[in-house]
Amino acid sequence: MRLSQIFATIAVVITGCILLYGVSDFPGFGDPHSPANAGVPGSESVSQYFITESYGDTKVPNLVTSVLADYRGYDTMFETVVIFAAGMAIFAILGAVGGGGQPREQSEEPFFVNGDHSRIIVGTTCRLLVPVIQLFALYVIGHGHYSPGGGFQGGVILAASFIIIALSSNLNAALRRLSEANYLRIACIGILIYAGFGVLCQVLEGNFLDYGLLQPVLLTDGPEMARSHSMLGVEIGVAFTVTAIMFAIYANLSSRGTLRDGL
Amino acid sequence: MSLFIDIISWIAILGGSFFAITGAIGLFRFPDFYSRTHAAGKGDTLSSFLVILGFAVYQLKDFESFSHDWPVLLVILKLLAVSVFIFMTSPTSTHALMDAGWEDKVKPEIGEGKPNHLNDDCGKF
Repeated sequence: MRLSQIFATIAVVITGCILLYGVSDFPGFGDPHSPANAGVPGSESVSQYFITESYGDTKVPNLVTSVLADYRGYDTMFETVVIFAAGMAIFAILGAVGGGGQPREQSEEPFFVNGDHSRIIVGTTCRLLVPVIQLFALYVIGHGHYSPGGGFQGGVILAASFIIIALSSNLNAALRRLSEANYLRIACIGILIYAGFGVLCQVLEGNFLDYGLLQPVLLTDGPEMARSHSMLGVEIGVAFTVTAIMFAIYANLSSRGTLRDGL
Repeated sequence: MSLFIDIISWIAILGGSFFAITGAIGLFRFPDFYSRTHAAGKGDTLSSFLVILGFAVYQLKDFESFSHDWPVLLVILKLLAVSVFIFMTSPTSTHALMDAGWEDKVKPEIGEGKPNHLNDDCGKF
């Protein structure tokens, strides 16, 4: 065992012990008297507040979305940034280790036939299904307020449709639809949309991501509807980033960073 | 009417369960990769189609008038859409799996004394 492995093992064991020690202080699962459910003495429980008041505050029936995109929107913004950073890290690593710097040749193969008749069945099925998958992904993104879903889930479904194109024919066919320049652009635009909503609130002399202030901009009936619409906006931003980064991760990992041929 | 719907949906659901079980038995007892995939793919497709069809028929019990009960029709439509997608994707994935096995030169098992055309057809083995 090398020295670095010994140090890594020691670090892992110590971290694990600390985490296990921390877990022992948790309240029991579903305990009604735990601080999260009953609140601490002298102040109301936060989950009770979300359950009773969130619809009045935001006019969003899906409690999860209102907590995720409004009450803790700052956290969700940085979750999106984490995904972005993961994508950037993969580009950096594969660019250094794989042959990332070489010029790319774009072969002009036809989309589905690929000179290989065994792929006609898979190709045709995917060609029929991809539009349906993409439509469903847009539905999941846009319907995140009212039903389970939202930017992360819809973005992953949208990225899966591009990955299916890449699997059923080849990587070039998918890159022709979502090229390297475009997915990098879309990933940045997604975070800019999210942060833009926050900065817009600051421009209107409020706090970062305080959506209620956007009422004069979005021309809604009240601050509640402004929050609802802003949540849709930031979900779309999240979906942009997640779609682009998920597809980018697949494209780069399957071709070792060269973006040529792939699997 | 209600009894009729019950009988139809139960026949479909039980038929689907039968094909699911035979598919599972085939998956275990058939001799080689291709016949096993065949059993799993065929049984899976038909059984899920029949079970979903049974659910869709069962939903008709709640349907009385168009003006009031259209959400029930929506549920039926969704179930039928699910079955259509399963009908498209499940055989395709079975095909892709078999194709991958063929590309990977997985040898089919051919009984004693049966005609063996493997070598004349493609020269793969």
